[in-house]
Amino acid sequence: MTGAVATVDRTPSERRLRIARMTSTAIVLVVLLIQTYPIAWIFITSLRTPADFAGSNPFSLPSELTLDNYVRAFQDSDLVRYFLNSFIVAGGSIILLTALSMMAAYAIRILGFRGNQVVLALFLLGIIVPVQVVLIPLFISYSNVGLLDSYQALILPMVGFALPMSVYLFVSFYGFIQGEILEAAVLDGCGPFTAFRRIILPMSTNTIVTVAFVNAVFIWNDFIFANTFIFDQDLKTIPLGLQDFIGAMGATDWTATFAAVSVTLVPLLLVFLVLNRAIIYGLESGATKG
Amino acid sequence: MRTLSTRRAVTVFLAPAVILYLLAVVMPILQSLWLSLFEWDGIGPMKWTSLDNYARMARDPVFMSSFRNSLVYLGINLFFQVVVALLLANLLLSVTRGRELIKTMFFLPTIVSTVAIAFLFQRIYALEPMGIINLALDAVGLGDLATAWLGTTRTALVAVSIPEGWRFMGLYMVILYAALLAVPKDLEEAARIDGASEWKVFSRIRFPIIRPVWATVMIMAATYSLRGFDIPYLLTNGGPGTSTELLTTYMYKKAFRSVDFGYASAIAVFIVIECIIAVGLIIVILRRGRQGEGALG
Repeated sequence: MTGAVATVDRTPSERRLRIARMTSTAIVLVVLLIQTYPIAWIFITSLRTPADFAGSNPFSLPSELTLDNYVRAFQDSDLVRYFLNSFIVAGGSIILLTALSMMAAYAIRILGFRGNQVVLALFLLGIIVPVQVVLIPLFISYSNVGLLDSYQALILPMVGFALPMSVYLFVSFYGFIQGEILEAAVLDGCGPFTAFRRIILPMSTNTIVTVAFVNAVFIWNDFIFANTFIFDQDLKTIPLGLQDFIGAMGATDWTATFAAVSVTLVPLLLVFLVLNRAIIYGLESGATKG
Repeated sequence: MRTLSTRRAVTVFLAPAVILYLLAVVMPILQSLWLSLFEWDGIGPMKWTSLDNYARMARDPVFMSSFRNSLVYLGINLFFQVVVALLLANLLLSVTRGRELIKTMFFLPTIVSTVAIAFLFQRIYALEPMGIINLALDAVGLGDLATAWLGTTRTALVAVSIPEGWRFMGLYMVILYAALLAVPKDLEEAARIDGASEWKVFSRIRFPIIRPVWATVMIMAATYSLRGFDIPYLLTNGGPGTSTELLTTYMYKKAFRSVDFGYASAIAVFIVIECIIAVGLIIVILRRGRQGEGALG
């Protein structure tokens, strides 16, 4: 770009192109600021002293940095407990989801059977089902069998609603696995179970990362299921616990609230920054190859 | 793969997913349909009322205003997630450096929880202490316009819709951008040499090629907006008055505050129908667009 800027434009159309490029870049950068500044602002504010936050323009840079807000955030709430619950629910859901959708896709796309396209279509319809429609029936069933206030109450619908997209992603990935590999395995005496374990599973790593992460975002952040099925303080997941914290401390201890919000953002942020290539790639190919 | 496929293997691999899907998604949908035909407070006997709950919707002014609000919410979200995202994806094509980094950063809001987003926007919109919007208005001498954006009937609905648009705009931009990258460059160049304007290049070459991806994005954005709940519920919970009440928040109130399971189920069924109609419309528009191109040659 620097070379292009330094050279004199030879024709009016080159000049026009250059101006268009600069305008596009400027617009993209402004939107970039809109997309990222609010998140940065949460972290910056979490490092301010309460006096600094109250006294000066809350959007200016802090005059001094402190970690006290984080200490108070942990002291004043059950953040650790919420984290533990969220890890159990998200971990359980994701292991179950990945295993079930990978297996189902294997049966649908590779083993094949009469009516496999119908089964796939029924799964795909689930993509457009709004979660609200299952809240009342699940609430009633849960209270009948005593499952309200349990991890399972959250894991079941989270996996159910994540299955359609995950099955779809695995099915489209298995479409790229070459038949010869499996034929060779069959000639070597592989049955359907060995073929799955020895061939399909090792080849699926990238898709597993995409499926696991994309769903981790939705499951980790879930609010509506937790808000409907969990009342016990000891079973609250992070979004619910954070909402409690905001309700209780939001008006009194601003900076500690910002610290609590920051803490809850960190796990997904870390995973995303480490794996962002694989995740974005998986999303792009999932959506564009369909 | 006839040799790999045995009845036992298919059953073992398929059954767990199907059973869980039936339990968590399919059966509850049928139960909702069934419940929507009754009047029931969850404790007493269920009273069969056939389609009365659906007739009640038409007479319920709060339902009607919630329906209108949901459509506004949908419109604002589609504007950000489909229109602006598509524009940005196009602009990003002409950015020469750091595209990967820009993509990653655009994507960031997608991973922030709705609880954190609601808290964030409450601060951004606030009047006391001044949020960034009111500070900015003040700074450019428009301090008179400063208001509590979430507390004012006229502005609350738009204010409640924007965070959801902001949240997923980057996700859809990344997907649309990937589709645009796959458009053959020589086709675009040839058109430019023939003197086609950028708009022509976009409307005649790029867009027809990415149309299927655009439709996927439309379907995702539309169905996600129609089921949008968290942010409006957390920011205003329908208020002030019913100015930000959406069908989803109204249904939730009817179900878990008024314990009016029958009526709430009927509203839930209505939301499902809404989603099906939206997807149907998008597919019809997509087909028609294709035929139109054929006619033009």
